[in-house]
Amino acid sequence: MTDTTTNHRPRRLPAALRQWNIAVGALILGIVVLAAILAPWIAPYDPFKMASGPRLTGPSAAHWFGTDELGRDLFSRVLLGARLSLGIGFAAVAVGLLFGVTFGMIIAFCPERVKALLLRIVDVVYSFPDTLLALALVAFMGPGVENATIAIAISLIPFYARVTYGLAAVERAKPYVEAAQIAQAAPARIMRIQVLPNILQSLIVIGSIGFSSAILSAAGLSFLGLGVQPPSPEWGSILASGRNYISRAPWILIFPGLAICLTVLSFNLIGDGIRDLTDPKSRRRRS
Amino acid sequence: MLFYVARRLLTAFITILVVVILAGVLIHVVPGDPITAMLAQSGSADADDIARLTAQYGLDQPVWKQALLYAGNALQGDLGTTIRGGEPVAELLLDRLPNTIALAVAGLGTALVLGIPMGFIAAVNRGRAADFAVMLIAILGVSIPGFWMGLTFIQVFSLHLGWFPVAGTSARNIVLPALTLGVVHSALVARMTRSALVDILNEDYIRTARARGLREHQVLLVHAMRPAMISVVTVVGLVFAHLLGGQVITENVFSWNGIGRLAIQAMLQRDYPLVQGFIVIFATSIVLVTTALDLLYGLLDPRVRRR
Repeated sequence: MTDTTTNHRPRRLPAALRQWNIAVGALILGIVVLAAILAPWIAPYDPFKMASGPRLTGPSAAHWFGTDELGRDLFSRVLLGARLSLGIGFAAVAVGLLFGVTFGMIIAFCPERVKALLLRIVDVVYSFPDTLLALALVAFMGPGVENATIAIAISLIPFYARVTYGLAAVERAKPYVEAAQIAQAAPARIMRIQVLPNILQSLIVIGSIGFSSAILSAAGLSFLGLGVQPPSPEWGSILASGRNYISRAPWILIFPGLAICLTVLSFNLIGDGIRDLTDPKSRRRRS
Repeated sequence: MLFYVARRLLTAFITILVVVILAGVLIHVVPGDPITAMLAQSGSADADDIARLTAQYGLDQPVWKQALLYAGNALQGDLGTTIRGGEPVAELLLDRLPNTIALAVAGLGTALVLGIPMGFIAAVNRGRAADFAVMLIAILGVSIPGFWMGLTFIQVFSLHLGWFPVAGTSARNIVLPALTLGVVHSALVARMTRSALVDILNEDYIRTARARGLREHQVLLVHAMRPAMISVVTVVGLVFAHLLGGQVITENVFSWNGIGRLAIQAMLQRDYPLVQGFIVIFATSIVLVTTALDLLYGLLDPRVRRR
């Protein structure tokens, strides 16, 4: 048993990198993360300073992505926007996962009748699209970065809870959990020590799916004026303030949009890649 | 079958009831006093107004009582009145419902017309360049924010080529928003069609059909596509729900005069009764469509009924 695992471990990493989608996704994500971290140092201009250059000029050597309607440098704004978008995404996914996984686990270990009721409630909320749920919550909590992040986190909980429940229910039926139950381990301990490590890999995949939907929701909310407020350079809010100028200055449309697409794409590619690696069905197909 | 239908309808009703109650409670998420927050938007607010509105919306009652009151009224078709203008919420929303339905149906139709052939091509050419290309397009499709695609379409087709008006609500105007929704969601449909078809093409009866000397197009279109379509029908509900979510934003990009656009205006103006009404109407539509599709699925596949 130990032999097979030690044989498997060193092979995992190269296999993951040989998977083209993971490699490409990781590369794009790496660049975006690096841009987000280094933004204050590599941004050529102050992203908030108006009239860094002439208004609405196209991409040039001085302004790589051009300037916006107030003469702010678009490249600097998109760079700093990476911080906001990734930050909101990360915070929302972390909070969503924490609550979603906890709820999912608890539901899986509930007595039959309680389980049916709780699942029903989760399903009702889950049937509501996550963007809409986030929208509805922000509408009542009020716009802003924190509220948008909380709303997106809450909107992810049903999805995470549903998937965790599915995974945990399968594990719960396995002999090793039964053995632990007979040994009178507390349910919380079984969930944490026995079940969680076994479903962790799948949770990473759904984590990355949640990330892409969180970033899309954040951009959408900001675009509608309900998320990050101007002049903060979130990608969605740059698009919102620039939308009236797109005929004269299409670059205001192109660059922030590309930034969103590439970031979301990188998470989707990584998620797909990990699924290809771990899903026995697709593994069989490849060989 | 009758039992199955009755059970599904009952579940649908309970689901709608839960959503309505949740919508009723949602007003308590508002930080501070919702009435003050609403009045702050419209300017004038004196103590009398606050007391009158608090009583009118039942906010001086305990939470559970409010929720039941709201649900009771909602089930009778009364969703309250708007803060601005005091118009009946239900009427305002129902006025715009046809526009929203038209766009949703057009978007869903576009998604199916684009997505099913894409998934078909990918599955039939599994592992080859065509499969790779289609799946790449599909993953790009789910990565593009709908509002950005909409703005790009406006830039290219309206402003640059001048084929379509920039915004408005008419038959000619529906093309771009429907295309936006359709392209984004065709990616989902393509992936689902592909995976359903790939599984079916591995089945023994497909090999038998080929061995019997049937023509390839007959095997693919008749023997493989038919059962694959049944699995696609089951996920159409999911795609539709997702599409309605994207539609709220798309309606705003194209100034399409539907419920989504009204809802965002209401959200920005903090017209809470209108936002609650929007949630009730949207959730009800999603539940009705998924229930209808479930019933259809039960009709197509008798095994489902026994579950």
